[in-house]
Amino acid sequence: MLIAFTLALAAGTSSGPQDNRSWTVQAATVYTAAGAPIENGVVTVRDGKIAGVAKGGGGGGDQHLNVAAVTPGLVDMSARMAPGMGAVEQSREITPEFDVAGALDLFDERWNSLAKTGVTTALTCPPDMNVIGGLGVVLKTEGPPSLAARVVLREAVLRGAFGSQPSQRNRGPSGRPENFYVRRPTTRMGVEWEHRRAFYDAAASRQDPERAFPGSERLVAAMEGKLPFVVQAWTTQDIRTAIFLKEELAKEGFGSLNLILDAAAEAWKEPQLLVRSQCAVVLPPFPEQGRTGEGAFMAHDSAKLLHDLGVPIALSAHGSTARASSLGRQAGFAMRGGLSFDAALAAVTLTPAKLLGVDKRVGSLEAGKDADLVLWNGPPFEPSSAVVGVIVDGRLVLDPRARDASQ
Amino acid sequence: MLQIHTHRNAPARLLPALALLALAALPASAAQAEGKLVIKAGRVIPHGGVDPIENGVIVIEKGRITAVGDKDTQVPWDAVVLDYPEYTAFPGFVESHTVRGTDRPNENIDVVPFLSVRDSVDPVSFYFEDALRWGITTINVQQGPEAVIAGQGMIVRPIGMTVEEMTLRPSAGVKLVARPKSRGFSSATQLQVMRRAFGDLRRYLEQLVADKKDGNDRARREALFQGRDLTGDNAKGRAMEGSAWKVAGLEGVPRGEIDAKQAPLLALVEGKMSAYIACASPMDVHHALQIARENGFLARSVLVISADCWKAADEIAEAGVPVILEGELMHSERDLYTGKLVETFVPRELNKRGIRFSLSSPSGQSSSLAYQAALAVGEGLARPVALDAVTRTAAQILGLGDRVGSLEVGRDGNVLLLSGDPLSVTTWVERVVIEGREVYDRSKDIRNRHLLEGRSPTGTTPMGAGPEDAHVHDELTPPEDHPDTRKDKKPGEAPEKGEKKDPPKGEGHGGGAEERQ
Repeated sequence: MLIAFTLALAAGTSSGPQDNRSWTVQAATVYTAAGAPIENGVVTVRDGKIAGVAKGGGGGGDQHLNVAAVTPGLVDMSARMAPGMGAVEQSREITPEFDVAGALDLFDERWNSLAKTGVTTALTCPPDMNVIGGLGVVLKTEGPPSLAARVVLREAVLRGAFGSQPSQRNRGPSGRPENFYVRRPTTRMGVEWEHRRAFYDAAASRQDPERAFPGSERLVAAMEGKLPFVVQAWTTQDIRTAIFLKEELAKEGFGSLNLILDAAAEAWKEPQLLVRSQCAVVLPPFPEQGRTGEGAFMAHDSAKLLHDLGVPIALSAHGSTARASSLGRQAGFAMRGGLSFDAALAAVTLTPAKLLGVDKRVGSLEAGKDADLVLWNGPPFEPSSAVVGVIVDGRLVLDPRARDASQ
Repeated sequence: MLQIHTHRNAPARLLPALALLALAALPASAAQAEGKLVIKAGRVIPHGGVDPIENGVIVIEKGRITAVGDKDTQVPWDAVVLDYPEYTAFPGFVESHTVRGTDRPNENIDVVPFLSVRDSVDPVSFYFEDALRWGITTINVQQGPEAVIAGQGMIVRPIGMTVEEMTLRPSAGVKLVARPKSRGFSSATQLQVMRRAFGDLRRYLEQLVADKKDGNDRARREALFQGRDLTGDNAKGRAMEGSAWKVAGLEGVPRGEIDAKQAPLLALVEGKMSAYIACASPMDVHHALQIARENGFLARSVLVISADCWKAADEIAEAGVPVILEGELMHSERDLYTGKLVETFVPRELNKRGIRFSLSSPSGQSSSLAYQAALAVGEGLARPVALDAVTRTAAQILGLGDRVGSLEVGRDGNVLLLSGDPLSVTTWVERVVIEGREVYDRSKDIRNRHLLEGRSPTGTTPMGAGPEDAHVHDELTPPEDHPDTRKDKKPGEAPEKGEKKDPPKGEGHGGGAEERQ
């Protein structure tokens, strides 16, 4: 306790009101993400947890906030807060035993920037420089700067990457004798082969413990569907490769991967393939002119199309902490593409929470859940509305009253 | 008949087709421009300053608005009627400053006021097509910021196949750049080069007057050699006008003899031309205002500022010049001592001081003018001010307040029909009318459909895939039939069933059209 307090002091986050984690938040509309919106509702927060959500009004005092709209804290499945190459183990391509939590800098101010865009829970994975980079962690974007205080779920997912990105920094021997810098694979074929080999080796280790290798138990857990396998797959080609691997492993009798396709910009191209494979999809930010930096083409109605087919979808800002491309804005862009407000809300709150297995704690405004709230000055996700307040675990990270005072 | 041509003369084959197109397009548009158009919309928002009119009516005759009112408004019996009770009518957005739509916006010579973007505007640039898609009907195109005194800008409409057809105002002032050029220029160099240009002008004019007194007719011979018109007003001298400095005796020099390279700066000093001065930092604002005061064109100056410049807002307010805010609406910086991020919402700072300002859209869809205005409302700017900042105020800043930017009697018939509120993210521009002519219809916008649904325009997809074939894999083969799931699969083996329908990589979804810009 003392240590946590000292850390909080060091980060300069400790002050009277911040330690107070009880609020009443009154809003013209409360969007709970668990049922119909409540007009003139009040969310009661006690000691960092939601005590109740009900119709009502009135009240005042220091612990009372009054805004136009409240939504649950947003959940970003592709926060990419790992410090670049500092979180990539380069001695091997397959490092399923590595936990990215060990590489995170909780003092990084980007956490605060992310929180202020309304993201209160984020999945962070190892960067996609390795074929299977390791384990991702779900944590809160604000709070005392210790893993103990911030982690919602450790070892939440296993992270892989398809396409050529994991091979991009690698090189084969040229001229000189092979040295330390020679690293493979150097093609997307090689990347796929590394994936396949890892799972086949892990399957073999299940029969023969002698053949176990570091992290093979994680791969086995992934094949048994116990550990979600979140892979980066931008293009149709990458998406197919990932899904065919899943189907191949199933056919071999190894088990069923709980596959989640991250940054699946071209998922709209083969929606039936996604339906068949029962994968979930995390969409990257909507590109301005259709094509992402990675050369994938993302139709603007992707979210609507996939949602209508019953594919679970989550939206993401894919690492951006800028307001213009924040997760809330993505929900707006998805609505522009035809997605309903309710579906857009789910795609940034409850759906990602469920996909990550943390929906007992976050993702909707229900009594007993963590007090993660986003306060808006108008209809959520509209560009003419801004995030004016953020509460994480009952801590007021962004105060709507400060904004009122400045105007 | 076309089939007798071989591929050798493909361009020749195109010509008659183009001529046909032109013939088909011209009489129709001419007829419409002369004709009468009535727009009935579920809601009409004439501009930010008035209440919307429910079930409003707009009458456009000969390209101009002749009536705006409720459903009982008198309409001509012979007018074409567009009746859209589900849409909202709104004035076309006004882009008050852009360098887009040109072929290479920067001329790297420091002082080039004699150039004009007229020679750089590319009528078939995707930017103009996008502008229509985003409801922008009036655009001030200016040279880029890599200069000191740049060329003259122009105001265009995003329609027409030639620059002449697009033109609304052939000369929209000179672009000056107070922020230092990116390559090797300090603020001091920038300012010095700018001062020298005006000094050069002054010395040139003095020399001209002296030559004339001495009987030296070098300027006249040069003008004749260049074939310049020396009749009419050009044959007359006129005393120098302007408020800051004057060269005496200029009335003795026929205006036609003044070097065309110097004429634009002279027009600036005489207060006959506007100046758009780009500023990237508060000190640039100071320099810009200083130069404008020294040379008497402060009253005709518009500052094109980035968010950082809000710190000079008091000075801007005192000078009384309007500003165009480019890019970010929010200025962020870190306090050096506390490390705290300090954010300032710039439109509020401008509005608070009574500075007239417009918003500009720096790029693509997420920063369209409607989006910029919406963001400003989200940050606390009053809705009427935000709406006007991309329409009416922008038009006033361009000196076009009596022509565009609002739906009022006498203004150009530039009307957007929107599917919802102008500031909502779910709103689409459904139809655009410019000067009484329907120039955009979203239901026929194939590129928009491609962006929205990934469907390719007919005929642009190789391998025969038509617009309806985009979702080609809707019916997939069962997994066990797929080559990738077969155990005996070898690398490089020919793909089978499922993959045959795969659109060719890169072309399969629209020929990369969206990349061309």
